[in-house]
Amino acid sequence: MKIAWKEMRKNKTKFLILGSIIFLVSFLTFIISGLANGLSQDNAALIKDLPEGQFYLNENAKQTYNLSKIDTGLQEEIVKEHPQATAFSVQMGFVNDVEDKQHSVAFLTSTESDVFEDVREGEILLDSSLKEDGIRVGDVLTNNQFSGEFTVKGFVDKKKYSHAPVAYINITNYQEMYRVMEMQTIFIPGKDAPAYNGLESFSNKTFLNAIPSYSAEQMSLNMIIWFLVVISGMLFAIFFYMMNVQKIGLYGILKAIGMKTIALFKMIWFQMIAITLVALSLSIGLSQFFNFVAPEGMPFHLSLDTVLMLSAVFLIVGFVGATISGFQIKKIEPLQAIQQGEM
Amino acid sequence: MATFLIEDVTKTFTNGEVEEQILKGVDLTLKEGEMTALIGPSGSGKSTILTIAAGLQRATDGEILFEGKDMTKMSQEEIRQVRASEFGFVFQSSHLVPFLTVEEQLLLMLDVAESKLTKKEQEKEVDKILKLVEMDHRKDAYPASLSGGERQRIAIARAIIHRPKILFADEPTASLDTKRSKDVMELLRQLTKTLKLTTLMVTHDEEMLPYVDRIITMRDGYIEE
Ligand SMILES: Nc1ncnc2c1ncn2[C@@H]1O[C@H](COP(=O)(O)OP(=O)(O)OP(=O)(O)O)[C@@H](O)[C@H]1O
Ligand SMILES: [Mg+2]
Repeated sequence: MKIAWKEMRKNKTKFLILGSIIFLVSFLTFIISGLANGLSQDNAALIKDLPEGQFYLNENAKQTYNLSKIDTGLQEEIVKEHPQATAFSVQMGFVNDVEDKQHSVAFLTSTESDVFEDVREGEILLDSSLKEDGIRVGDVLTNNQFSGEFTVKGFVDKKKYSHAPVAYINITNYQEMYRVMEMQTIFIPGKDAPAYNGLESFSNKTFLNAIPSYSAEQMSLNMIIWFLVVISGMLFAIFFYMMNVQKIGLYGILKAIGMKTIALFKMIWFQMIAITLVALSLSIGLSQFFNFVAPEGMPFHLSLDTVLMLSAVFLIVGFVGATISGFQIKKIEPLQAIQQGEM
Repeated sequence: MATFLIEDVTKTFTNGEVEEQILKGVDLTLKEGEMTALIGPSGSGKSTILTIAAGLQRATDGEILFEGKDMTKMSQEEIRQVRASEFGFVFQSSHLVPFLTVEEQLLLMLDVAESKLTKKEQEKEVDKILKLVEMDHRKDAYPASLSGGERQRIAIARAIIHRPKILFADEPTASLDTKRSKDVMELLRQLTKTLKLTTLMVTHDEEMLPYVDRIITMRDGYIEE
């Protein structure tokens, strides 16, 4: 594809401009994707890290997890039937540290289980992000609604819920603080999804959407990502369309001297792929670097897998865009082009 | 020896409701090593018959026999192949590829014609043809930096580098002054003889006629004997 390459070499500016735009769009896409992923971790790492299984909410809870209460009798029955099953509750709240500073946390309690930490009465286990706030093992924390005190027993990594660090507490303490006997949710790990009267079941994925703000946040970010991808495809289509319009005469001549239409398509494809590959490698490199240097507290997480997947999408979309613009080449009559050139 | 026969070719254009017969039965025989000029008033159908013969548009009726095969019965792809490897074209404007150097233009033509030559042989061939058109000193120039006459020489070089059998030229000198036109005609004549081409050209310019072997006059879609 020498001719394609030579055209790029001779018209550097044109192709450089397109390349820069594709670079900027793809880089922005990667950054937003990293942000979406980071925010999603920040919002629901607690749930996302659970093994595949089934979640149950009260049927009357309108699929909103805060409104759900599970009948104690039914809960006992289920846990007896499935030893793996665990009932748990999460509530947003605060702890006061030794200096009486407030920290927002998501209190989590559960019946005995493999998937959540077990904590004894009066003890608390915190997400490690609270270490940065100066809380240490052995510190004593208090809560306005709780008569006793919590002793920090340790930290766990990356357990976030609704953008707050998770605080594991004992079920008795929880029941006192929130003045409820019932748990909100039952989780049964594994593939089977038994149905229970009065309960609605959710997969891990659908349960995430029951977390307030989770789906709204992810949906808008994902929408931005797909818009950017579509925009980049349209950029290719428009760019090559305009280039092709300028070159109709040339294509006509090339066809007249016997060049195959497919060779002209290959020319466009080569240019599109060359530009995209260069632009993508730049933005992959830069976004991975950003991933590396992003400040600790910033919810940013960009895996190479995601980047490569998005890159493949960019290539496909660019290919489609360039090809659509190429359809006009198919229609060019060599004779017309020759005569137009002489007008 | 006849290599190219045009037999009773007609061409009708339809503009909306109106049908207009532009060619009303054209017969023409082209001979190897011979240069034929088509002359006649504007609108008489010269370009039309030339482009039909060159496989750039279809005849409404009639036969075009190239080496015994009827081109009017060929598929679009077969015609493309004939154009790529057996025909050469020179137009009024040189129509060079703006982003290729002189040498690259010619190499591209060899590529399109699916030349069997090796890379080295192709480069040698380019040198040879450029010497023939006296442009070997501008091998690395881009079309924009060439004069009109020089560009037309390169267009001619591109039209013959793949050693076509037939050379079609529609007013190849129309954009040049008299001196350069004569140079180009001299070149076309010389190439026709040395490469044993069969050349069909259209011209308006009486001064160019001394260079050709045969003059055919067209009037109103007919050939005037
Ligand atoms: N595609 C077309 N559709 C309709 N009419 C056409 C078409 N092409 C050519 N004609 C008509 O056919 C006639 C002959 O055209 P042609 O170009 O062959 O003339 P010409 O002899 O080459 O003239 P000139 O010397 O001015 O180049 C003209 O009247 C022209 O209007
Ligand atoms: Mg004409």
